[in-house]
Amino acid sequence: MPAALNEKIAGWEPLVVAFCCNWCSYAGGDLAGTSRLSYPANVKVIRVPCSGRLNPMFVLRAFQRGADGVLVAGCHPGDCHYSTGNYHSRRRLSSFKRLVEFAGFEPDRFEVRWISSSEGDKFADEMEAITGRIKALGPNRKMRDARWQSVT
Amino acid sequence: MAERYLAELTKIRDAVRQDLLGGRINLLLGWEKGHYWWQSRPLFAEDEKDLERLTWDSFCAVNLSRYLLDELKDYQKIGVLVKGCDSRAFNRLLQDNMIARERVVLYGLPCPGMLDYSLLTAVAGVAPEGIDEENGRVVLKTVAGEKTVERDQLLLYKCRDCLYPDPVVYDQLLLIPRGAKEAPERYKSVTALEELPADERYAYWDKELSRCLRCYACRQACPYCSCRECFVEQDKPRWQGRAYQASENFLFHLVRAYHGAGRCIDCGECQRACPVVIPLQELNRKLIKDLNELYGQFEAGLNAELEPPLLTYKPNDPAAFSEK
Repeated sequence: MPAALNEKIAGWEPLVVAFCCNWCSYAGGDLAGTSRLSYPANVKVIRVPCSGRLNPMFVLRAFQRGADGVLVAGCHPGDCHYSTGNYHSRRRLSSFKRLVEFAGFEPDRFEVRWISSSEGDKFADEMEAITGRIKALGPNRKMRDARWQSVT
Repeated sequence: MAERYLAELTKIRDAVRQDLLGGRINLLLGWEKGHYWWQSRPLFAEDEKDLERLTWDSFCAVNLSRYLLDELKDYQKIGVLVKGCDSRAFNRLLQDNMIARERVVLYGLPCPGMLDYSLLTAVAGVAPEGIDEENGRVVLKTVAGEKTVERDQLLLYKCRDCLYPDPVVYDQLLLIPRGAKEAPERYKSVTALEELPADERYAYWDKELSRCLRCYACRQACPYCSCRECFVEQDKPRWQGRAYQASENFLFHLVRAYHGAGRCIDCGECQRACPVVIPLQELNRKLIKDLNELYGQFEAGLNAELEPPLLTYKPNDPAAFSEK
């Protein structure tokens, strides 16, 4: 592996993809907005119906096409709009996170958080925190599609 | 061929001949000798003449349960010879509702572990011309003479850490059971990899996966890869790109392994089928190890009634990420 894999480039800004569940985390993001809380624009939110909707290939595709970090946010266990969706995703994403780390990703590159619709401040804090961690790690080049080109 | 195998083969042939000629089964899935002496390929026997080619030796590694998926389209009732791993593969397919139990007759063969031709060659120094087996030893016959080696050292990778050599499901057990084994080193290579720094681990996989030809032999051989349409061939959306590059290789291998999370029976057919010897079992075992650690001990394929860990949950499950 080239040493330049995580090399920092001047002016580089991290790209974080956040998959947010429609019922809790996305609403939490809304609340952060209406509460006038600010969080880094590095985070790009993708709305999914439930954290259980998340196909692990979404995460890998994000890494292939330019993401430096991926966050999945869903309702707290017990609060799922569909009753059990996040119980299932907790098991799935736990084993998937370990697999992704086993493949050589740093643990901070892929994270899962529970954020409810009333936790606008937590939403903003988590986005701030993950952007900070990815900034510290540097750009991700692992699993990057060779044809991908940075737009920044 | 060793005396023991000949005696066992007679026993197997007698049992299946009765059923095949009597009409209890329309087809028997077994093994026959391939082009080389060290190959035993699947045999599809319809009548007595086909049964003459039936073989049973140290190279019958092919998992026959997987062939049921295709053969059940053409035959009403099929008999299958199953080793330990084949029987767990059968349970796997049964649990996935891919086959009907009443259309299959299972003949159980407790398995001594199968030999790896590449190891035979490596140990002998030259390509051996044949082998003889006695009391846990293998005599390699080469042009330069004979060499005796412990049988355990020549086993296929998938057989080295086998926990269940005896079939776990069968209608008729044809040979003497060998009893459960222990495999203290099953997760050894996984643990060694886990201890590496992330970048080195990535470099390791980058190197191993760079050999991948995307021939999908691992998928074809696998008893859990039974989807009628696989994600690698799906066009809308096209998950798996065709380009030859690390990114696509990682995607394929991570997703292939992940589709087996909680379902993989660790039979190692993927790795045996791989023409470029990618250590696929390490990915599979990593998932088995993690799920066992997080959600309780579970061995897929042992019992078709037990629910795999990713199809169920408990409200107080632990997580591999911060839940604060």
